[in-house]
Amino acid sequence: MDVIETRNLTKYYGNILGIEDLNFSVKRGEIFGFLGPNGAGKTTTIRTLLGLLSPTSGEAYIFGKNIKDSIVEIRSLVGYIPGELALYEHLTGRQFLNYFSSLRNTDLPLLDKLLEIFEIPLDRKIKGYSKGMKQKMGIVQAFMDDPEIVILDEPTSGLDPLLQQKFYEFILSERKNGRTIFFSSHILSEVDKICDRVAIIRDGKLVALEDVDSLKSKLGKFIRLKIKEPPSTFKGPENMKIVDGWIEFQTSDNVDKWIKEISKYTVLDLEINEFSLEDIFIRYYEGKNNYGR
Amino acid sequence: MADDLGFKRIFRLRIAFQTVKDYSRITIILSVLFIAMALMYAGMYPAFEESLSEIIESGFAEGFEFFRGAEDMGSYIGFLNIELYQIFWLLILGIMIGFVSASVISKEIEGKTIDLLMSNPVSRKQVVFEKFIGLIPMVLTINFLTFLAIIGATVAIDQELNFYNVFLTHLVSIPYFLAIIGIGLLVSVVINEKMKASIIMIALIVGMFIFESLGQMVTDYEFMGIISITHYFDPYDTLKFGEADFVGVVVLLIVAMWAMIIAMIYFEHKDITV
Repeated sequence: MDVIETRNLTKYYGNILGIEDLNFSVKRGEIFGFLGPNGAGKTTTIRTLLGLLSPTSGEAYIFGKNIKDSIVEIRSLVGYIPGELALYEHLTGRQFLNYFSSLRNTDLPLLDKLLEIFEIPLDRKIKGYSKGMKQKMGIVQAFMDDPEIVILDEPTSGLDPLLQQKFYEFILSERKNGRTIFFSSHILSEVDKICDRVAIIRDGKLVALEDVDSLKSKLGKFIRLKIKEPPSTFKGPENMKIVDGWIEFQTSDNVDKWIKEISKYTVLDLEINEFSLEDIFIRYYEGKNNYGR
Repeated sequence: MADDLGFKRIFRLRIAFQTVKDYSRITIILSVLFIAMALMYAGMYPAFEESLSEIIESGFAEGFEFFRGAEDMGSYIGFLNIELYQIFWLLILGIMIGFVSASVISKEIEGKTIDLLMSNPVSRKQVVFEKFIGLIPMVLTINFLTFLAIIGATVAIDQELNFYNVFLTHLVSIPYFLAIIGIGLLVSVVINEKMKASIIMIALIVGMFIFESLGQMVTDYEFMGIISITHYFDPYDTLKFGEADFVGVVVLLIVAMWAMIIAMIYFEHKDITV
């Protein structure tokens, strides 16, 4: 069963496009990366899913329930860390958690574990918290009642690398327990590290939706070499470029074929690299849907 | 089934309780302020008593005729009515309660805490309803403590005052403040910035007060008063004669209820943008 499903989900702010015709589904137990630069529509999508904005047209379902009719029920299944996290600054951490646990009105099986991982000075007023402490509080409140889905909008901003690592470990363990994570980010390395599938959104529209590995394999390999002979004599593919005496090209064919071709020349240097998610992302954003084929 | 759960959720009133806690300090400050005002004006009266009657004879009170009961300013009741109930109770406390209630939701929107609040299993109607409930204890506390202060001060200076009438005045002022909370909430869900919302609310209250006063002074314009909530609450008649305007009470309660219902419906359909 799909945990989140959108059908032509569209949101306009007056005449201004927020998102348009979004169709995607998130499967149970996966970490779904939602990528795009600032202003692409990530936050609009999330806020629409959570019922803070009402869609202009289209529909969305969470656990099969329409967000229009059952948003309160849905909220009891969903944890959320907003992109612009704002807490009740006049409360202490403890008062805040007490307030929110009374609103959740359910058990908090993960609270102790979370407070162990993410230490927070609970008896201080939130007003005095650093950005990292606030972010930790955001994480704790989102996961404390062990919700089925957690929607994260740039959750690691403000966390130091050590805490980021702890956070990744934590959400990977949550996935193991069958929880679903919707992870919006523009930090590609983290998405690369933890997400199973990614959707890339540009100007409010979905431009890619695939699992991370197949996105990478579609793009193939990036081969860079230097030969003793004049570079222009090399019989490379169409996308071959010569940069500072280096021959560069991208291939999704069998690497073996190219090794055999290269072996006909005197090789001074050779690099074969996989594309990172970052390369893929930049490719989408440069507007070239060029997979190197 | 879903509705049952909804009712259970709402009647746990957690948002309301938190609102009471959040405003407990303001409640204490306003209570102290109004107790002080009550003690001060009651305490001042014996010293002013004689000069007041001269002032009244000289026609000075005509300048105050937009306040009800101005001509009776020389008596203890009349003095309390003008100085305390008309100015501080009806207008200043009205403004303060309005200021607070107009910011109660707008500050969550402006401060973006509404995002997290609404990620809990709560409905938007519930938020409006519970905020309304959560502001009532503030009104009740200030009201009751000021009542006690007036009684205490009157006994201390040994003046004549019908305590039942004072009690009745404080009792019928509750619907007046409920109407202000209701209208304040309505402003609060429409306007996203808390300062702007509060200032609009103050303008509304002062505007209504002026309309009502104009209606009082110029009989041709008396009809103008009916759109003002101050029209439905007259401390003077209640203080002096023990006459409560029960139609006014009903009108104020209806205003409070409908303002809250409209606020609920409006908020239900509002896009909460960042």
